[in-house]
Amino acid sequence: MTRVIRSSAVTLAIGYVLLGIAALVLFAAPLRYAWQATVEDFRIELLEEDSQRLAEVFRLRGPQGLADFIKERVGMQIAGERILLLTDPSGRVLAGNVPSWPRGIPARPGTYTLPVDLDGRRSMASIDRTVLPGGYNLLVGRNVERFAPLERRFWFGLGAALAVILAAGLLGAILIRRALLARIQSIQQTVAAIVRGDLSHRLAVRSSGDELDTLSQTINRLLEQIEQLVHGVANVSNSIAHDLRTPLAELRSRLEELSLTRPPAEEAFAEIDAAVADVDGVIRIFDALLRLAEIDAGMRRSGFVEVDIADLAAKAVEFYLPAAELQNLSTSFRDQGPVLVRGDRVLLAQAINNLIDNALKYVASGGHITVEVTRRADGSVAVIVADDGPGIPDAEKPKATQRFFRGDASRGTPGVGLGLSLVEAVCKLHGGALELADNHPGLRAQMIIQPAAAAARESAGERERQIARAAAAAG
Amino acid sequence: MKILVVEDNERVARFVTKGLKEAGHTTDHAENGRDGLFLAASERYDVIVMDRMLPGNIDGLAIIDALRKAGNHTPILILSALSDVDERIKGLRAGGDDYLTKPFAFGELLARLDALSRRGRQDAAETTLEVGDLRMDLLSRRVCRGARTIQLQPREFKLLEYLMRHAGQVVTRTMLLENVWDYHFDPQTNVVDVHISKLRQKIDAAAEQPLLKTVRCAGYMISADPALAPAAER
Repeated sequence: MTRVIRSSAVTLAIGYVLLGIAALVLFAAPLRYAWQATVEDFRIELLEEDSQRLAEVFRLRGPQGLADFIKERVGMQIAGERILLLTDPSGRVLAGNVPSWPRGIPARPGTYTLPVDLDGRRSMASIDRTVLPGGYNLLVGRNVERFAPLERRFWFGLGAALAVILAAGLLGAILIRRALLARIQSIQQTVAAIVRGDLSHRLAVRSSGDELDTLSQTINRLLEQIEQLVHGVANVSNSIAHDLRTPLAELRSRLEELSLTRPPAEEAFAEIDAAVADVDGVIRIFDALLRLAEIDAGMRRSGFVEVDIADLAAKAVEFYLPAAELQNLSTSFRDQGPVLVRGDRVLLAQAINNLIDNALKYVASGGHITVEVTRRADGSVAVIVADDGPGIPDAEKPKATQRFFRGDASRGTPGVGLGLSLVEAVCKLHGGALELADNHPGLRAQMIIQPAAAAARESAGERERQIARAAAAAG
Repeated sequence: MKILVVEDNERVARFVTKGLKEAGHTTDHAENGRDGLFLAASERYDVIVMDRMLPGNIDGLAIIDALRKAGNHTPILILSALSDVDERIKGLRAGGDDYLTKPFAFGELLARLDALSRRGRQDAAETTLEVGDLRMDLLSRRVCRGARTIQLQPREFKLLEYLMRHAGQVVTRTMLLENVWDYHFDPQTNVVDVHISKLRQKIDAAAEQPLLKTVRCAGYMISADPALAPAAER
């Protein structure tokens, strides 16, 4: 683990250093080229022009004339910068500001930049050598020693920049490695604690919101789900032990009594029918538990399709309408046209039906049930089932969605206490939640579901487009 | 009807075959996939009851697949202990015609087998349905009882249409939930009964012969024949 991190940090640093060097070279090379092209080429051109002019003088006035001309020019200018030298074919100096033919000048005519000995000092010079008719040699040059510091500084600057980049890269590698190691170690420690069995641990998330934080948040969500699943399993086993035993005990005593007392046929058959009804009740609990387990495990998400939840709610209201009328309850349904969500059609329908069924169970004659499908400001979709029944006391609200929980108001009503658990599980499966609130009086149950983002974007209304944007920004 | 029951559990098989015989059907029983496939391929049956999980190498879905590939289109009802919606879809996709989860009530099985066996015989191009003096025009969506016109809500129309298409057959609450409301879950209420009694008020006026009957422990039936379904009661 450590080795991987070290190498990843070092690789990163090397990458940045190489990038820095490449940038520097890309910057320096054109500069160097521009220098070459403008300054040096221009200098050489000047030298060539100079020697051509002197050659012209030689052609017109002969060797002595050129020597005089050179002497005159040398007398006029500052020594040391310009180099002028005329020698006869034997190498004797006729005129110039250099005492003797400098060593190191190539024999061929041409223009060179090379170190030459001038006044006993070796210095850089640009030199144009011309061979004049009759074997006379003409040397026109310019001492470029004064440009040397500039060039030295250029190379020094380049080297210094390289050194800074290398040092910064090295430092960066060390710092990155240290920071990464520290945080990964903290993640490792937390995960190790979780592996040891304490599921309540969570990774520390800093406010910076960088990649590691995002990772930590994802892992935390994962841990939350695992914890819920583990607790769910524990809860379900407890609940099964508790609540399945009751109907089974009833069934058992019914059958045993039948076997012991051997009642007349008519009575016996009635008891057998009742026993079958008992078994059906147990099967229903099993089915509900299996369905819950299936939802909790998130298995059904693969089969998600686009569902118009407003349509599902409208159908559910219509389905329960005759039953409501029979109980002398009024119902109303409000929606704002189709509302598409990605989800499981069967589960969403079952959840909405459960909420309405629940309301029907508790609301007294003359009461009212309202079902509403709306888009909320944050872009999520809410299916609200509100009634004016007894509601759920605040103390019982958190427990209402627990498996097999039955509030005081529900004593004596049919059901096994899994209805709201299922609704909550379905909401969670769809990235939402079940919120139970007071309807003053009564219960206001809200199923919050994440919308189908793609579907929202396609719809034409500006409002929907805003919602989609908000959803995209939030998620 | 001649019915093949492919089921490895002896007690369930006996329960099913005995019940079917009492309902007046002849049955064959295979207790493993190999025998089941052999019987299904060599004999002609009106309908097949196929257990999903069978001992041996061939399971129920494989038999169905083999039969369908061989061009055998006998209606098949799959019996399974797997209750997931996904499993149901898998079973129907493999070529099954209906899916019933174990444990089940015999009345449910019988009603579904009845519905399956008649499905093939139905005239798809029917435009009117008739039971006694009750007439349903599918094109104009009008329903009359004798000279009396009956006003129905769209869902009531669908409910009555399903019942009339299965006239003389028992239709269970689950079948109604699945086919009329498209609800593939148990809403754990008697709401279907309420819908039926509302419908009954509309089609069976006080002085008329009752057509829509409740079949005890099973479901409902629409029929003009007072002798049909002795268990039926108003």
